[in-house]
Amino acid sequence: MTEKNHFEGKPYADRFRSEQAALPNSDIQWLNDLRATSIERYEAVGLPGPKVEEWKYTNLSALKSEIYRTSKPSVGDNEKNIDEITLNEISGSKVVFVNGYFDQNRSNIIESPGIKISSLNDYVKSNPEDAKTLFENNRSKESLQNLNLALMTGGYIIEVDEVTKLAEPIQIIHVATDTAESNSLRTRNFISLAENSGAQIIERFHGENEVNYWRQNVTRVQLADGAALDILQTQTEGNGAIHMSETDIRLAADASLKHYSLNLGGKISRTEIKPTLNGKHGNVELRGAFLARDGAAHDVMTHMKHMVPECESDQVYRGVLDKGGKTAFQGKVYVAKDAQLTNADQSNKNLLLDRNAEANSKPELLIYADDVKCSHGATVGELDQEALFYLNARGLDNRDAKALLVEAFIAEVFEELSIEPVKENYLGLARAWLKAAV
Amino acid sequence: MLEIKNLHVEVGGKEILKGLNLTINAGEVHAIMGPNGAGKSTLSYAICGKEGYEITEGSITFKGKNFLELEANERAAEGVFLGFQYPVEIPGVSNMNFLKAAINSIRKYRGEEEMAAVDFLKLIRAKAAELEMDPEMLKRAVNVGFSGGEKKRNEMVQMAMLDPVFAVLDETDSGLDIDALRIVADGINRMRSPEKAILVITHYQRLLDYVIPDFVHVLSDGRIVKSGDKSLAHVLEKDGYAGLGIDESAA
Repeated sequence: MTEKNHFEGKPYADRFRSEQAALPNSDIQWLNDLRATSIERYEAVGLPGPKVEEWKYTNLSALKSEIYRTSKPSVGDNEKNIDEITLNEISGSKVVFVNGYFDQNRSNIIESPGIKISSLNDYVKSNPEDAKTLFENNRSKESLQNLNLALMTGGYIIEVDEVTKLAEPIQIIHVATDTAESNSLRTRNFISLAENSGAQIIERFHGENEVNYWRQNVTRVQLADGAALDILQTQTEGNGAIHMSETDIRLAADASLKHYSLNLGGKISRTEIKPTLNGKHGNVELRGAFLARDGAAHDVMTHMKHMVPECESDQVYRGVLDKGGKTAFQGKVYVAKDAQLTNADQSNKNLLLDRNAEANSKPELLIYADDVKCSHGATVGELDQEALFYLNARGLDNRDAKALLVEAFIAEVFEELSIEPVKENYLGLARAWLKAAV
Repeated sequence: MLEIKNLHVEVGGKEILKGLNLTINAGEVHAIMGPNGAGKSTLSYAICGKEGYEITEGSITFKGKNFLELEANERAAEGVFLGFQYPVEIPGVSNMNFLKAAINSIRKYRGEEEMAAVDFLKLIRAKAAELEMDPEMLKRAVNVGFSGGEKKRNEMVQMAMLDPVFAVLDETDSGLDIDALRIVADGINRMRSPEKAILVITHYQRLLDYVIPDFVHVLSDGRIVKSGDKSLAHVLEKDGYAGLGIDESAA
């Protein structure tokens, strides 16, 4: 049944069959059917192995040797974890998930005209027709997406009406606690922004150290004409975690997306960002940094699809690797035959703080139009010795000099971020990580 | 203040300085001139402690301290400033933050409190104004996108901020037009005082029209081959290094 180069799909399909009845909303038949077809599709393919080109830098054999159980609604004291990653300076809505389940008590959804924030499980109950359509319109062939759909335990839906512009960013907080040991945490979210609306979404993934869990978060985004969305992600999962986050964004004419991410947690992380520019003058900016050490591996894969003329995309990713860290940046840019006057840039720079580290960079440009401007650049290097000496000669010791240079290397990625508390938080997280490095 | 005795320095296994002696006292301005490859920059790096400049013999003593035991940053904190021939660009670090980090590192070494933010701002604004630097440049990344003259001016602002007791200026005059040269010379002259000393390293005599040295030394093939007063610079200007019997092409 399983496709070549994939790990067998049966173990998780079996897991699904034994867990199905306990999944949320298992009394809703159409949802059960949806889950069942999804698991069939998953089983037919299986988990991607290291010989699958897109997965060659992320080894999922850990998911083969241990079959994670789907998480259960969590009980217990999670306040500390949640407080730790909540930006209290920001007063907008807060949507909290604990071990993959929406936590009503810890969330704070502020009523505001033109914006609707719902828990996915509630939405499925109250708007079955809309929910069905949402799922149907967002089917994927990818096996992992189907596994997520079959076993999802929760998620959120954000709908913003025409011309509505959110005054405050929405915070989405995902925490994993120690009860998530050997669990998979699967969430699925939908964001839709109507014509000329605007929103900023802060999305944070965090977990307890020494807990072995597998998070898989999938988000589908629709941006109508002129809509503008910022997504600001931080990933500070526990050091035993496998983290996967996939965001698929469809942009109509004049829509714009800014996606920022900082990856520094987990033992394996995979971040996929897939914008599709379907309308003229769409604009996408992707900015991110990943920091790895001690056996941690981060893999960021972007897939930028320019389907129509006159759109712009720009990607800047930076990696910092300390002893034992491994990273990959895979940047695919597709420019369709008719997508003339496309402007697509991509840059990935990596800094090795130790020789015992591995940085991979794979730009992949598929350009079928002939009048376009596309650029890409990738570097892997060490700290500039001349710059270090310059700082030494001005009085900074090696430790401070290195810290300053590495911080600057990361700070450049987040320079244009307009929400000051988020920017400060990004730099603070990076600084704390660096403290242990240099 | 600075005493260099029989200094031998190797770079990449090759001996560049071959027994250099130099004594600089407080209140003095010394100039070292010499053809390309004579070892001028090597001398400045050896004094300031750059990695890869291996002292195989001899000593460098600064205010009675054995400098060879100190790291580059410690030498800076002891009051030595190196003006770079090619100031390094540091993307992502603003001039402001760079100088704040430098001042506070030096203060920490000396066991002093960090400088208050208000005092720092006052000081940097004053120094930038003295050296005619546009305050906007303080917010920009260190030397990134600066012209040659702006970089050298920036070195002078840094020197004024860090207030060293001894400055080594390594070809600070190279590549400057006459206006920039005047600013650099002005920066150096501002530092002159009975408690301080300056070592100007230069290929050309031109800077010495603005910064009048007390002593001029000629460096050739890793040694000081001639010392004199400011008139020596004029002799060099007139007759070239060949006038001293130095074969410039052999160096």
